[in-house]
Amino acid sequence: MTKYLLRRLLGAVPLVLGIATIVFFAVNLAPGDPTLYFLSPGMTQEVVEQTRINFGLDQPVHVRYARWLGAMLTGDFGYSFSHSRPVLDVLADFLPNTLLLSACALGVAFFFGILVGTYQAVRQYSLSDSAFSVVLLFFYSMPSFWLALMLILTLSLFARNVWEWPIWFPASGMTSTEYDFLSFGGQVRDRIAHLVLPTLSLALVLTAGIARYMRGSMLEVIRQDYVRTARAKGLSERVVVFKHALRNALLPIITLVGLYIPVLFGGTVFIETIFAWPGMGRTIVEAINTRDYPLVMAGSFFFASMVVAANLIADVLYAVVDPRIRYE
Amino acid sequence: MKKVLAIAAGSVLAACGGGDSTEVSGDPFCQAVLPRVAAYMEQARSQHPTPSDPRYGGTVVIGSIGEVADGLNSAISADHSSTQHQQFVGLMTLVNYDAQLNAQPYLAESWEISEDGRAITFHIRQDVYWHDGERTDANDVAFTYEVVTDPLTAFPNAAFWDHYVKEPEGVEVIDDFTVRISLEPHSEFLDPFRTLGILPEHLLRDVPHDQLAQHPFGEQCPVGNGPFVFVEHRSQDRWVFEANPAFPAALGGRPFVDRYVYRIIPEQTTLLTELLTENIDVYLAPRPDQAQQILDDPNLELLAYTFRNYVFVGWNSRKPQLSDARVRRAITMATNREEIVQAILLGYGTVANSGVPPFHWAYDDENVPTLAYDPTAARALLDEAGWRDRDGDGVRESADGTRLSFSIKYNTGNQQRQDVAEIMQAQLAQVGIEARPQVVEWATLLQQINTPTLRDFDGVVMGWVTEFKLNDMDLFHSARIDQPYAWVGTHNPEIDRLLEQLSVTVDREEAKEVWREYQAAIVEEQPYTYFYFPDRLDGVNRRVRGAVMDARGEWLNIKDWYIDPASR
Repeated sequence: MTKYLLRRLLGAVPLVLGIATIVFFAVNLAPGDPTLYFLSPGMTQEVVEQTRINFGLDQPVHVRYARWLGAMLTGDFGYSFSHSRPVLDVLADFLPNTLLLSACALGVAFFFGILVGTYQAVRQYSLSDSAFSVVLLFFYSMPSFWLALMLILTLSLFARNVWEWPIWFPASGMTSTEYDFLSFGGQVRDRIAHLVLPTLSLALVLTAGIARYMRGSMLEVIRQDYVRTARAKGLSERVVVFKHALRNALLPIITLVGLYIPVLFGGTVFIETIFAWPGMGRTIVEAINTRDYPLVMAGSFFFASMVVAANLIADVLYAVVDPRIRYE
Repeated sequence: MKKVLAIAAGSVLAACGGGDSTEVSGDPFCQAVLPRVAAYMEQARSQHPTPSDPRYGGTVVIGSIGEVADGLNSAISADHSSTQHQQFVGLMTLVNYDAQLNAQPYLAESWEISEDGRAITFHIRQDVYWHDGERTDANDVAFTYEVVTDPLTAFPNAAFWDHYVKEPEGVEVIDDFTVRISLEPHSEFLDPFRTLGILPEHLLRDVPHDQLAQHPFGEQCPVGNGPFVFVEHRSQDRWVFEANPAFPAALGGRPFVDRYVYRIIPEQTTLLTELLTENIDVYLAPRPDQAQQILDDPNLELLAYTFRNYVFVGWNSRKPQLSDARVRRAITMATNREEIVQAILLGYGTVANSGVPPFHWAYDDENVPTLAYDPTAARALLDEAGWRDRDGDGVRESADGTRLSFSIKYNTGNQQRQDVAEIMQAQLAQVGIEARPQVVEWATLLQQINTPTLRDFDGVVMGWVTEFKLNDMDLFHSARIDQPYAWVGTHNPEIDRLLEQLSVTVDREEAKEVWREYQAAIVEEQPYTYFYFPDRLDGVNRRVRGAVMDARGEWLNIKDWYIDPASR
């Protein structure tokens, strides 16, 4: 196992470096020029040149690549043009927010996906099974930004202004403006309230997918001999399903974690924009738009690393839960 | 299984219950400066207790799509919300404008101009303190002037200093509160001092000028001297300011609100929702199609006023189809701009005929000719210029067979500009001109039009935000044809002459006449088809009282806003 891990980790190094290299050249060779963002009428060409020198863009691209790579290997990701501070500081601000949102979405999606899928499998061909299938298919086909806007419309705007519900959710931000003056309990509630809509928008699509997989996997397991044996032993249906069947049905679901992490990061780009969530996805897109090279490169590098890491973890988890699988 | 679920549930709870992410910036500059600000504010609050007036108190929240990009670092900023925060929130400018755009004392108590018009002496107020307790004096003004006129700084609005004598000879500290700046006589010479926020010399004097852009002063721990004190900035999320109790009583004393929060919400639908659900008090610049929803809500009011920005299509006169001014005039006459304002802006806008905004003293719609919508005259003008449909395909050709066909570029994700390009396409087809809208990603488009050796476009839909000191030098003067902004490549001696004359005419009455001539020349030349000055819209919750917004800015009198005590 250790050997396998080491081999995978070593294999990941050229992979991540390769991604970083491709991103570097894609970003640097794309048309557009970061100094143009600092231009305005009245600026002379000399000022533009000065800005370019201040940014280190006066060097040819291969020199910049060598410098960037060298600096990156020592942990120096340079200065962000648009944020005017070290790239690592920028990432430190935004990455945790994206991870928080993604983790919540992933948690919610797996919890409900597994629950619903199991329920459907146990009640195969029942009315509720079909009803769930229709609803899930609906969420699965909806783009998450549309879902996000609908959630804002219903659970925020209509809930407060039209239906006058006692509970409605804030449509943007991570905390409310009076957060600093709230009690600890109030702060926790405030944070959760702000998490609800973005988490739901991200999680609903995933939940639908996971539930479909879960239903299929469960159906397969539930016909196995050992499940029949468990029933024959006279165990309650509850124990049969949750103890004997579910554990085995979960195996293929675990690989989904690795599959869904990139989907999730892609989704955060829209969701963070719509819900004004100060996260990494939105920041990278803005960095691309303003040609903030150092930030784009560092951001993509971290995302790439996390996707690679997530896949690795999924593979390892697989071995952990299934004793039959041994990596050599 | 239980374990897996427990881990999943545990991590969700742990993550969602979430630790606190308030970060004290680790930067040594900030660590040194912030405690001093906190200590001084403590002292200031006890020395200047809040007057007992019900208007004091509460928090006002402004929501907008964009960051305050440069924070309070006035040495490097040109964007609107940054300069507004420098002028009216965190820093102070030497002068302010009244509603007629005449300079009024602010940080400068008074000023005089030497007889020959070559020196201006500012007398600085003696009761203004930086938020760390240091007094603001003439050295700060001199320092700021030196910074912004040094090419190393790359101050974006360098045109401000065209007729000023640059540092070090250009500025002289006469005594602690008197500073003299040298200049050539020129028009609207006070305008730079309306927008340039004065910076604290005692904090920034040791920073090399080419590193000012990256200095934490701007966005992480700005120390100003204005009516509001910086509290916190969470990038892409919010800025928080609190009232400065020590703000000079002669200038109105501390602001009415205790706190002012600026929130960044990049999606306009979300912004509107937050305004309607009263999570924010002010929604800056809603889209015209959102105006009705704001008007329908009894708790909200909609402010609409002409602003300093305009939308136009620039014509690349280097292209054979577009080199003849008659063709460009015909294009403008074939375009129903009035209808476009109705269709795109739902009436919230004014048709533009030049870059002079309707509220400006140089604006004159009575004595300046305009090109009204007249397709018949447009057709006649095109015939006269030698463009006729010779092969019957519906598109005109010149004698040598060049088709009167060109692209109109606009940037991705800008619906208004896309609409302009598409409506133009339809209307120009009526007079035998083929226009092809073409969408280009923003950074790529900037490069295509700004790079003097490239100029890769025929027509381009763009917008400008002007200063009050109007200056088209960079756009149309032939001496600047190799500079980035001479997109259209105008080469017209008459326009050159008028631009030069305008830049040195000091007297407004005298200048008005030149402005008329200039605007007439622009109409004749049609380097741009000017479309409109869109109205600036702002949605404001009625619990916010006393807000005045106009072309001078949305933050103009934020220190005089107060929250209705009944709905606080």
